[in-house]
Amino acid sequence: MRYRITHVTDYRYSIPVGRCYNLAHMVPRDTGRQTCTRNQIHVSPAPASTHKHQDYFGNNAYFFAIQKDHDQLSITAESEVEMQEQGWTPGLALGLTCGEVLARLRSSSAPECLLAREYVLDSPMIRAFPALRDYAAPSLRPERPFLEAVQELNERIYRDFTYDPGFTTVATPLQEVLTHKRGVCQDFAHVAIGCLRAAGFAARYVSGYLETLPPPGQEKLVGSDATHAWFAVYSPEDGWFEFDPTNDKIAAEQHIVTAWGRDYSDVTPLRGVIFGGGDKHDLSVAVTVQRLA
Amino acid sequence: MPFVIGSDEWAKIESGLLERAELFNLLLRDLYGPRDLIRTGVIPPEAIFAHGGFLRACAGIRLQGEHDLIIHSVDMVRTASGDMCVFADRAQSPSGAGYALENRTVMSRVLPSLFRDSHVHRLAHFFQRLRAKLSQLAPNVDEPRVVVLTPGALNETHFEHAYLANYLGYPLVQSGDLMVRNGFVWMKSLEGLMRVDVILRRVDDWFCDPLELKSDSQLGVPGLLGVARQNRVAIANPLGAGVLENPVLLRYLPQISKRLLGREPRLKSAATYWCGERKDLAYVLANLDQLIIKPIFRGMGRSQTYAVMSNAERAALVQQLQAQPQLYVAQERIVPSHVPTMIAGQLQPRPAILRTFAVASESSYLIMPGGLTRVGLTLGSPLISNQLGSINKDTWVVASEPERPVENVPLGERRAQQQQSVGLPSRVVENLFWLGRYAERAEASLRVLRTTFVMLNGADMLPRNCRHLLLRAVTEVTSSFPGFTAQPELLDDPEKELLAVVLDGGRLGSVRSCLQAMLNCAEESKELLSSDTLRVINDVRDVMTGLDQALEGGLMSAPEEALDPLVTALMALSGLAQESMIRGVGWRFMEIGRRIERGLQIITLIRALLVRELPDGEQATMLLAMLQVLEVIITYRRRYRGRMDIAQGLELTLIDTSNPRSLLYQFGQLQDHIANLPEVGISSRELQAEQRALLEANTTLRLSHLVDLARAGDDSGRRDELDQVLGRLYHLLTTIGSVVSDKYFDHRVGPQQLVRAVWEG
Repeated sequence: MRYRITHVTDYRYSIPVGRCYNLAHMVPRDTGRQTCTRNQIHVSPAPASTHKHQDYFGNNAYFFAIQKDHDQLSITAESEVEMQEQGWTPGLALGLTCGEVLARLRSSSAPECLLAREYVLDSPMIRAFPALRDYAAPSLRPERPFLEAVQELNERIYRDFTYDPGFTTVATPLQEVLTHKRGVCQDFAHVAIGCLRAAGFAARYVSGYLETLPPPGQEKLVGSDATHAWFAVYSPEDGWFEFDPTNDKIAAEQHIVTAWGRDYSDVTPLRGVIFGGGDKHDLSVAVTVQRLA
Repeated sequence: MPFVIGSDEWAKIESGLLERAELFNLLLRDLYGPRDLIRTGVIPPEAIFAHGGFLRACAGIRLQGEHDLIIHSVDMVRTASGDMCVFADRAQSPSGAGYALENRTVMSRVLPSLFRDSHVHRLAHFFQRLRAKLSQLAPNVDEPRVVVLTPGALNETHFEHAYLANYLGYPLVQSGDLMVRNGFVWMKSLEGLMRVDVILRRVDDWFCDPLELKSDSQLGVPGLLGVARQNRVAIANPLGAGVLENPVLLRYLPQISKRLLGREPRLKSAATYWCGERKDLAYVLANLDQLIIKPIFRGMGRSQTYAVMSNAERAALVQQLQAQPQLYVAQERIVPSHVPTMIAGQLQPRPAILRTFAVASESSYLIMPGGLTRVGLTLGSPLISNQLGSINKDTWVVASEPERPVENVPLGERRAQQQQSVGLPSRVVENLFWLGRYAERAEASLRVLRTTFVMLNGADMLPRNCRHLLLRAVTEVTSSFPGFTAQPELLDDPEKELLAVVLDGGRLGSVRSCLQAMLNCAEESKELLSSDTLRVINDVRDVMTGLDQALEGGLMSAPEEALDPLVTALMALSGLAQESMIRGVGWRFMEIGRRIERGLQIITLIRALLVRELPDGEQATMLLAMLQVLEVIITYRRRYRGRMDIAQGLELTLIDTSNPRSLLYQFGQLQDHIANLPEVGISSRELQAEQRALLEANTTLRLSHLVDLARAGDDSGRRDELDQVLGRLYHLLTTIGSVVSDKYFDHRVGPQQLVRAVWEG
């Protein structure tokens, strides 16, 4: 399967911005199940300098700086991604139990496992607290097959939480999301990661896009898609497995990965420091995921 | 009293330090590179991944050459067995090298012959190597520009930053002086933007770039990390080096060293236990009495000595250790050997810590002979730090034979020294400009207050009109509005208001607030002021502190005398600026500030006192007051034999260029300074805005007839022409001030985040 993704971000400022410095995570990385075959970022007004690099997590980061007055900033990222077909569904009931996963995480000297322990620790936006562990406990019982347990946790979050874009912002603390059981994909991914880490497992945040299909008989609308977020867990010696709590799914061909990190703060699609701009910024984001073949 | 180390003992320490600096350099490269030490289990992953100093954004950035760790510093003590034992490594931005240098300078001045005869090893070599290393960090640049980045004047080690920058000959900059443009780092200087190739960093790395690191940092340069990533600026020590201060590394150092160097380190470290390791935690909890507990990251708080804590504190600590064990280490309590220290004129034993410094040099490191010795304030004090207060002393490594003279400066170094235009950040120059203005404003305020006090307390009752004009002049000259101009009820009982104009630091325009502003400007431009100047500035601070007491008696106690020491100190300041400051750009701006302010004060005073026409006697009193404030009364009397004539008074104070306090004299000085400022933008024969304003001011004043100025309007009762001319001149002078400041200084708004990152807590 091949996709073309168009991701347009527009900022309008109440007062012109004289200079700005930005770091974008908008170029899909290559993973075991996808290859980014083409990517182009267009910034308006034209940046005075740009630079691409691979960040600590192996994501593609794009730096750009604008040096002339502007009251509107527009970034269009266009990518083509080749997704590998997954002819199989992982056997969730097989493999290690939760108890075994914890024991191997502690004892294994495999390099991949040692490095995965980074994702057990607290991160800037996800600090474990007892309520997370309590929420996860019924699913993550020691004798259960690990992936099956995670899938159940994923499903419970899907069932218990209400998708409510008006309820949270980028800054809503995890405690509040868990108490009110409301939020968006980013919050649900954070909740799942927090639950897993509080119980001692390694989990990371994945940001990307999800292809949505129009209702039967209707044309797909441009800009109707969105950036998406889900999470991945680590099972020693088996690797990482991605789950999407917003849709109660195992991430598959429709889940196109942009970047991963410990949480949202590591992979923010666009961060920036601006000089000027006043105190009011209008932001609009439009994403189109188009099936090519 | 210096701390003395024999040359044989030092040789052992030195070789241990060389090895340790190499080791930490390799460690740094691994942590931000392949992370093999974690991958292969030499260091437990949590020890690094949970450390606040491990900056993921800095991964993959490398400096040119063999070293990433440019300066490595070690804190050690001598134990009971006589061996040196390391208890901490410093790599963030090790402070103290400048203090060591200063201590040495002082000691060699105080004890020159002892110093010479004991063959003390010199420090200069260390700083030469540092300079050479820094210029090598930008190999593709012919004459690399190096700057010292400091958090600012309020930082407790700012003195050291200024001292070091001066000694090394680099500009001292704050983050606001730097900006990223076209993919490089630039310093905003008067000559425009100057490219910066190397930054000697004295700001903690976490703060250095609000784009990729701490997003609410006021001390950072947005985009800096991106430039470093492209190797277009070299930062020493590199961003992220703070991870080396993690004390957990001491716990695993023998294994790390075996892996990286093939042997255990020669220099002993204090026994360190990491609570993230189960066995260690059990040991720590069982032996708390013998241990010092330290958070692994400095930002998380201070070290705690269990033995001296209260029961409640102990319980809280144990709870913390159990809740987040991987964030704490414990270290054995080493009793440092005590050294003789001069305390209140007597030699007393005090515990001592030695901080040593290594600088990368060619293919190895060079160790500063000696270092900075700090001693505890009390006998047996367990913790010693400059922040908590401690005494510093010089450290002498004495040889049995005289040292070989310092070898010739290497070639690369010599080229760097020839670099001429060091450049000044425009912020420093702006502060000098305002230093000049505030000093002058304070002086003018003091003079008008002094004269007012004298006249109010004079033997003759001051006529009502005169008293009111004089009091209003106080408000006008000090700009402490509304004051006497808008509150007529104060005019008949002025004491409280007058004292407030002197003492009330919260009052805009008061002498105290003005001096405070002046002192702040001096702090910000310290590195350009001579040590004598700094001493005078300290005098101003002292006198100001004692002012409340001196004025306790109110108006009855001859308050003018209490103001004298301040006037004297300010005179000393302007004298020093004339006599001992290099005639560079900084001096020019300070003078421009001074001249503009003095001009404005002359105009304000004359308008306040002489525009209104008064009966002859009262008029004479006002003229006298004006001459008194402007310090020309003696000249006037000698020249005009006591005849009080407005036109003659105006001649002396407005257009007599032999009087350095006349208005025309200020214009002449301004002309000279402005003509010598660096050109900005495209050069052109057309007059610049400030030149235009100055030319008009000069001409207006010189074309005026004194008789017309002195004459009152037919029925207005005012000297309208004087008022108009002076009003115009006032406007022109303020124009010059704002044009110069817009043209040369940077007044951009501060940065803000596109998305607010509240999660950083």
